[in-house]
Amino acid sequence: MSALAFTILAIALAGPVPEMLARASWPMRAPRAAVVLWQAVAAAAVLSAFSAGLAIASRIFTGEIAALGWPLWLCLVGVFALTLLIGARLIIAVLRVAIGTRRRRAHHRMMVDLLGECHDDLDGARVIRVPETLAYCLPGMRSRVVLSEGTLTALTGPELAAILRHERAHLRARHDLVLEAFIAVHTAFPRFVRSGSALAAVRLLVELLADDAAVRAVGPTPLARALVACSVARTPAGALGAGGPTTVIRVRRLSGPPNSLPISLAAYCAAVAVLVVPTIAVVVPWLTELLRLILI
Amino acid sequence: MTRLTGLGALERTVMDHLWAADRPQTVRQVHDALSVHRDLAYTTVMTVLQRLARKSLVVQIRDDRAHQYAAMHGRDDLVAGLMVDALDQAADSGDRRAALMNFVERVGTDEADALRRALADLEATQNSGRIKA
Repeated sequence: MSALAFTILAIALAGPVPEMLARASWPMRAPRAAVVLWQAVAAAAVLSAFSAGLAIASRIFTGEIAALGWPLWLCLVGVFALTLLIGARLIIAVLRVAIGTRRRRAHHRMMVDLLGECHDDLDGARVIRVPETLAYCLPGMRSRVVLSEGTLTALTGPELAAILRHERAHLRARHDLVLEAFIAVHTAFPRFVRSGSALAAVRLLVELLADDAAVRAVGPTPLARALVACSVARTPAGALGAGGPTTVIRVRRLSGPPNSLPISLAAYCAAVAVLVVPTIAVVVPWLTELLRLILI
Repeated sequence: MTRLTGLGALERTVMDHLWAADRPQTVRQVHDALSVHRDLAYTTVMTVLQRLARKSLVVQIRDDRAHQYAAMHGRDDLVAGLMVDALDQAADSGDRRAALMNFVERVGTDEADALRRALADLEATQNSGRIKA
């Protein structure tokens, strides 16, 4: 009954497992390994969804209606259709996110190049002449780090260095590609089976990774001061936080316990297990079954 | 690569001239103004203006005698648009959130207080650590 096993696995990896992983606090101390684990879970969810579809298709098309009975057969056809739908949506989502992101980015980069000044002493960052505190990066082949005059006046040298290191870490490690993949998976899975927590969790984790790079260069205090200065200056009176308290989490983490190697190793092992164990346990018997069918 | 950045710089210069001018400019007028500072071919200026028109930064006004060009939007409007694009995190349509990566997210007043407390805690632990050492 490999079709059923794949279906259960796909649902578990799309819903309860991400929910649990998002609630855990250990990823804060092993962000890199946690990102890898999230990727493994997402990849395993997609793979098992397709495997379920294929397994079901093989049952439908090898003419087992008589053996299965009409209700179960219809149910299988339904699940198979859902798999096809997710597959199609995934392809469309990947393309739409990729094209949309690049179009927006190219337009924004054109504006930054037109309106900003290139500062060589700030590692080539573009500076926009506005009093607000801006600090962000545009990833891609022709990447840009963008600051504002408000940021330059409000922050000290080490604090600016922390921001630059943070943004360079995003650009160098292409964190945007990791996020893009999760956005695509997020939009592809139907609302009732997906967990919205995966995207938010990965978003926070890549920020932690970039924070770690900044801490390695300038230490925790300048980074924390830069984080607080940029977010507090940006708060209009009585404003509601749009992204949730992720910045608070990031600042608190800087005075917390350091990253842990044992936790990282455990997470890497879990990532390998998530991909390999289901493959061996479910795919191999199913493949041998398929092979037997073909050979007969 | 140098050619590209060079053209980018020229595009900026042309835009600066159009923003400073109080009326639409012909290619000749832009060329004359820019030639004061640098050696520049007439056709180069024309190409740049056409490129800017393709990018919707410049409008082409068709006159009987010569094409005239004007900036589509004021500089301040473009800066305002850039800021909205950069700060607009609320509208989460997927590709918007992936296009650029902000250093911090927008926080509310409660979170601003929590942030200040968290920073004070960190500075306190760092100081005590330094005294012990």
